[in-house]
Amino acid sequence: MNMRLPKLICTILCLPILHACSPGAGPAVQENLDLSSNAGSRSLVLNGPAPQTDDVQKFRLSLWENVAPENRCGECHVANGQSPGFARSDDINLAYDQVNSFVNLSEPRQSRLVIKVGEGHNCWLASNQACTDILTTWISNWAGDAAGSSNVIELRSPALKDPGASKSFPQDSTAFANTVHPLLMTYCANCHRDNAQTPQSPFFAVADVNAAYEAVRSRIEIDEPANSRLFLRLGSEFHNCWSDCDSNAAEMLSEIETLIASIPETEVDSSLVTSKALLLADGIVAAGGGRVDTNVVAFYEFKTLTGTTAFDTSGVEPAMNLSFNGDVSWVGGWGIRIGDNGKAQASTATSGKLHDLITSTGEYSIEAWVAPSNVTQEEARIVSYSAGKNARNFALTQTLYNYDFPARSSLTDGNGNPEISTLDGDEVLQATLQHVVATFDSVNGRQLFVNGIRIEVDDEDGGTLNDWDDTYAFVLGNEVSSDRLWRGVLRQVAIHNRALTVEQVRLNFEAGVGEQFYLLFGVSHLIDVPEAFVVFQLSQFDSYSYLFNSPFFVSLSDSSMPDNIPLQGMRIGINGREPEVGQAYRHLDLMLDGSEYEPGIGQRISSIGTILGIEKGVESDEFFLTFERLGDNANVVVEATPSPEAQAPDAASAPLIGVKTFDEINASMSVITTVPTSHPDVFSTFGNVRQQLPSLPGIDGFLSSQQMGVTQLAIEYCNVLVEDSALRQDVFPGFDFSGVPSSAWNQAGTEAFVSPLLGRVLGLNLSTQPNVAASRAELESLIQALIASVNPGSDNTAQRTRTIAKATCAATLGSAALLIQ
Amino acid sequence: MHTLFVSEDSFSRRAAGKVITQLMLLAVVLLLGTVICASAYAGPREQAKRIHDRLAGVPPSAATLDAMAELIQSGTGSDAQNAEAAAMLATEHPDFYRTTLKNFAAPWTNRDQSIFVPLNDYSATIIGIVRDDIDFREILSGDILYTDDGSSGVAAYSQTSNLHYEQLEDEGVDLGEHLQQQQQSILLNIPADATAGVMTSRAAAREFFIAGTNRAMFRFTLINHLCRDLESLADTTRAPDRIRQDVTRSPGGDSRVFRNNCIGCHSGMDPMAQAFAYYNYSFDAESDPEGNAGQLTYNNNGAADVVTGTRVVAKYHNNASNFPFGYVTQTDDWNNYWRAGRNQNVGWSPSLPGAGSGAKTMGTELANSNAFASCQVIKVFRNVCLRDPAEATDRNEIQVLTQSFTSNGFNLKRTFASVASYCRGQ
Repeated sequence: MNMRLPKLICTILCLPILHACSPGAGPAVQENLDLSSNAGSRSLVLNGPAPQTDDVQKFRLSLWENVAPENRCGECHVANGQSPGFARSDDINLAYDQVNSFVNLSEPRQSRLVIKVGEGHNCWLASNQACTDILTTWISNWAGDAAGSSNVIELRSPALKDPGASKSFPQDSTAFANTVHPLLMTYCANCHRDNAQTPQSPFFAVADVNAAYEAVRSRIEIDEPANSRLFLRLGSEFHNCWSDCDSNAAEMLSEIETLIASIPETEVDSSLVTSKALLLADGIVAAGGGRVDTNVVAFYEFKTLTGTTAFDTSGVEPAMNLSFNGDVSWVGGWGIRIGDNGKAQASTATSGKLHDLITSTGEYSIEAWVAPSNVTQEEARIVSYSAGKNARNFALTQTLYNYDFPARSSLTDGNGNPEISTLDGDEVLQATLQHVVATFDSVNGRQLFVNGIRIEVDDEDGGTLNDWDDTYAFVLGNEVSSDRLWRGVLRQVAIHNRALTVEQVRLNFEAGVGEQFYLLFGVSHLIDVPEAFVVFQLSQFDSYSYLFNSPFFVSLSDSSMPDNIPLQGMRIGINGREPEVGQAYRHLDLMLDGSEYEPGIGQRISSIGTILGIEKGVESDEFFLTFERLGDNANVVVEATPSPEAQAPDAASAPLIGVKTFDEINASMSVITTVPTSHPDVFSTFGNVRQQLPSLPGIDGFLSSQQMGVTQLAIEYCNVLVEDSALRQDVFPGFDFSGVPSSAWNQAGTEAFVSPLLGRVLGLNLSTQPNVAASRAELESLIQALIASVNPGSDNTAQRTRTIAKATCAATLGSAALLIQ
Repeated sequence: MHTLFVSEDSFSRRAAGKVITQLMLLAVVLLLGTVICASAYAGPREQAKRIHDRLAGVPPSAATLDAMAELIQSGTGSDAQNAEAAAMLATEHPDFYRTTLKNFAAPWTNRDQSIFVPLNDYSATIIGIVRDDIDFREILSGDILYTDDGSSGVAAYSQTSNLHYEQLEDEGVDLGEHLQQQQQSILLNIPADATAGVMTSRAAAREFFIAGTNRAMFRFTLINHLCRDLESLADTTRAPDRIRQDVTRSPGGDSRVFRNNCIGCHSGMDPMAQAFAYYNYSFDAESDPEGNAGQLTYNNNGAADVVTGTRVVAKYHNNASNFPFGYVTQTDDWNNYWRAGRNQNVGWSPSLPGAGSGAKTMGTELANSNAFASCQVIKVFRNVCLRDPAEATDRNEIQVLTQSFTSNGFNLKRTFASVASYCRGQ
């Protein structure tokens, strides 16, 4: 039995497409643009009667004029030609009659006309996908409000099948120990072990092979060895190759393949409680739309995924297709990645339609889904319509964390300056997928929107576009002169020839990007509810991952309802096993019950989403769910006890002694001299030399500059001590500080000064202290030298006596006797 | 101010030149003498000197040295116990608190892990808890803060200034004498159950709750008190269901980066850091961009943030469009996903539930882990022995000391004494 989920379910359960349901959302296209002057080879002459109704007229303007040329459907599907004759030119009313059974105005993409072309039937472009999209656009334009009005998602039961067999890692690490592990130990152990100097996880290069095996499994793709991180890090990302990256990567891949070859294919673990299995192709396409594309004049969804052309699928002629130059690659889930010297550029001839269509309205919008590679690039052109870095009509650029919008008008120079930018401090631009819109109109000037939110930036009135140049070219990811590279991913780009309103920007943001599916995982075999499913929204997140989102439970049987069914520990399985990474629903613990369940809508299981890696590819990956408990079925999951942490290796022997650090030196000098640390002079000097003194006690890191700091502080302490009569009297009671050098520093005086000094600094009677006699001799030698330098005529003063005292004190205080601990 | 060699006391350049030469010569001579002597046999006096140097940072008085040497030589316990008793004597010196412990804690109180930061309520509380032999686990959960006892004449404690502590330091106040235990909840005007030891001190808030997403508080607490940075705890196999919306799942358009790296830390960190969901550090970014005059704020029961509509502060909903399907924080409930998987090795307490609400219970979870206890011992070892534990003997000693630390009421002062005994020399 099929089930139709009405709008309400969309509102409650399908947040990403929420606004597909919003009144007023989506296009309200009434008429196509008259592009007769730009239609190139087309030369249409419509004979016969006038359109009988408004709808026939819409058909004519939106679809017929686009398909009737002889280089498209008009070559065959004409009067007396191949049936149906929807491209006939003899009677527009007959063409209308014949096309009606081949179009679906509520779901244009499901039109037979579209499907037929998508299957390869005489597509006029190199890409069937592009023809499909363009034809869909034309039919949507004809349908106007009718298109997308059916926001009912019809859930249908998929074919029910059990998860298939696959390989999975065995518990025993022997095979790993004989293959990959030795390589890791040889080349990766400097960093990838928990006891390394600078440990880098994962710790797969530890000697404990079980611990290494535990850490490495999520880095090996058992079904696709070439997708293993161990291999890709070397081969594609050149991560610390030990010689040549290609050969290193090949060596690693060889070991990985040997390991995997030793693993037999196994059935899905029989102890698991599993749902039925699905491929992505079994999913139901979520109703798209909701976008405001009324005035789109160029549109890129990057669906082709092959070749070097990105097609403009706006349906507005001439198609402004983009040719790739440099490193431009396709991104899974629709998009392109701009790399080295890359750009995707249109010809100046087709780019001219932007000039014509935008200057005719005097306003426009640049809309893009972008994922900048980094937040360090500057003046990088995301979108540009220009002749070089100094001449443009408009651009959307990145500078660090900012989006910039230079837009040429009567109020700017020929390069669109002054530009407007998001504010530096706001760091609006992030290296993640963002929806960015830049609009221009004469009333509001320039505006920027990021992720649906208007960014407050100052701008004057917009001015006019009369000075625009129609010889410029439209380009993505660079300047046309290839000297303003932007690195990142573009998932969708649209140019509108109207300024989107705040509400329209929000709608387009919420419409999202990329294709979404509903996957219905059958669970009726586990619980007593007929046609019961756990439904996930699934989309391809990027080239490497799926996004699983917002699961809910539903029964397609109108008369059924769950009754107190426990659901615990749900995991997503891919290709017969549960990936270790990304299991966001493993902590679920809830009841499926009528009190929470709404017939026709279901019961929400979780509002969050998670990403899981693509393994074999979107066509081949098989998904299923497992449960620790669902109804009466249980599989108790007990995580293995981890291996104990590896013991650190013995370190090189370190010195058993060290030096005092800054505060300790200061405090020690204070203790020895009795001068308080808060004394203004020493406080000031200590403040000056504090960060010059040792901050670490390691003696092997002691520097001469630090000794200078110690000396400077010692001199200050001794200066304060000697100049303070009370303090010096306490410390050196027998020394005459008022005598001249020749008398004060006689033998008795020297003894009266040196003994207390050495007693304070050294005098603890330790075998580890410096030799007292040797130290005394050094000090006496110093004193004698200083006395000898005294000029009897001018220096033989008490002041000079104190100077010698300070020097002797400082030589002792600032020595290793204090410094070493 | 006195300037080196160019002073008002006619300390002539000529004399200065000779003095500096002599100074350097003497310094080298004494240094060599000391080093040479250091390798000699260390008797009780030498051991006592080293213990005192390492604990107090200053030379002992003759009387103290005699007393310590006597304890080492003639104590009634084992050699290690006798030395430990002598070390306890050294911990009575004011500079054990004012110098050693202050600098022991200083790097924990700032993001740069600089030792050159002023005394603050974080480091003062560490000092006070050690002085008073309080269970050291309280540093992550207690309703506790230390201030001056009112006798030092310094500025009063302020919720919006660190002046009180800066003056205590500048004046050289004996912290061992004058610190006084206070109720943090009263000083900071927050509920008692919102206090979480030093994590909710003003100094920690200024560093780790300022701007950002409050994850810094969790990360730096791990670094400082579990001796583990996130890198060593990264486990990509944990459920990512609590990772907030601000974490992009496709950095630069490449989701592999998230699946292989980001998820490893965020899957465990985000559900733990949720404990700080009601805290912020408020300051005037215009007039005080460094936040020097800011203060810790806490959304009490009944408060509603204008952005979130709940008690959760706005920063928890930052950049919500980075991944709209990420976790939306509604409460301060936290869960420890690292109790399973490889981070069981942290040694979480089996007597705790591994989940709760608010910073106090989360701090209790951290402080009751084996990693917390061994981290404190290792930090003390580095501080006192001036080196890392190097080989099997050291590692065994760390285990013994950790066991002793946990079985002796998490008394860190005794750990200092025990480690000083171990490194006293032979």
